[in-house]
Amino acid sequence: MANEQTTVPLFVAAEVLTAADMNLSAGTGVPVFANTTTRDAGFGGAGEKVLAEGQLCYLSDSNIVQYYSGASWATVGPASAGALTFIKSQTIGTTVTSVNVTSAFSATYDRYLITLSGGTCTTNRALNMTLGSTTTGYYSSYMYVSYASSTVVGNASSNASSFLDAGVVTSNGLTGRIELNNPFNAVRTEFINFGAGLATNQQPIIGGGFVDNATSYTDFTLTMASTGTMTGGTIRVYGYANS
Amino acid sequence: MTYKIQIDDLVRDANEEETALIDAQHAASKARDKAEADKAKAKAALLDKLGITANEAALLLG
Repeated sequence: MANEQTTVPLFVAAEVLTAADMNLSAGTGVPVFANTTTRDAGFGGAGEKVLAEGQLCYLSDSNIVQYYSGASWATVGPASAGALTFIKSQTIGTTVTSVNVTSAFSATYDRYLITLSGGTCTTNRALNMTLGSTTTGYYSSYMYVSYASSTVVGNASSNASSFLDAGVVTSNGLTGRIELNNPFNAVRTEFINFGAGLATNQQPIIGGGFVDNATSYTDFTLTMASTGTMTGGTIRVYGYANS
Repeated sequence: MTYKIQIDDLVRDANEEETALIDAQHAASKARDKAEADKAKAKAALLDKLGITANEAALLLG
């Protein structure tokens, strides 16, 4: 890589600065190293700058910017390194029955988190989830305990037209967290859902399942499980960094 | 019934095929709800016949 260097030079009085010297020390602004090994070797040697607090660098192998605190190197960014990365959000329209979110999944991530919040709904019920244009082969089950009862209730669905109860909808808002594993990769997609209804006649639910195919998906749709519409609220999509 | 569907920021009426898919999901949910209600009703009837409450039945079953 053209910007990568192996040393951070220290110039002395009356030294002739060549074009190469200037290109190395000033051309890149922040010194660029192939990895942490070449970074550490680039300071403190003969004719090299002594590493001191405030020094910046860029590492090509991990695509991050770091600063030296005086004791160790710390990462400035991107903030996504090893974390959950926001991909996109979708505001839900007025009195809609379903919402299709496109360009949500890609080769960048294997696992995704989808959250539902805000808004309102005309029926206290649930949202089903479909992937791409697939309308069969969804296997899912969930359990819940109503706020008004201590009885655990289970529900299951085999080879259905959608994942069951991916989110909970009430007049007080939409709730739910959905995890999808491998929606973009050409393998079976795993589905995990959990959420708590925001109405006295509702309940927290937890469930999971998979879709019985090896299709690669880039989009998903949330649909009212029964008659009724939703208005407002936000669907957010995040990706778990693969490394 | 006409459903309004949303694709990203675009909101429009569902076409015939999309309507059929939504109807199918609603019918499946309705069937599940009915099965659940029937099960709860049968359970209540049995408890009534036995003369015990759900909590007492749970205690008996350990």
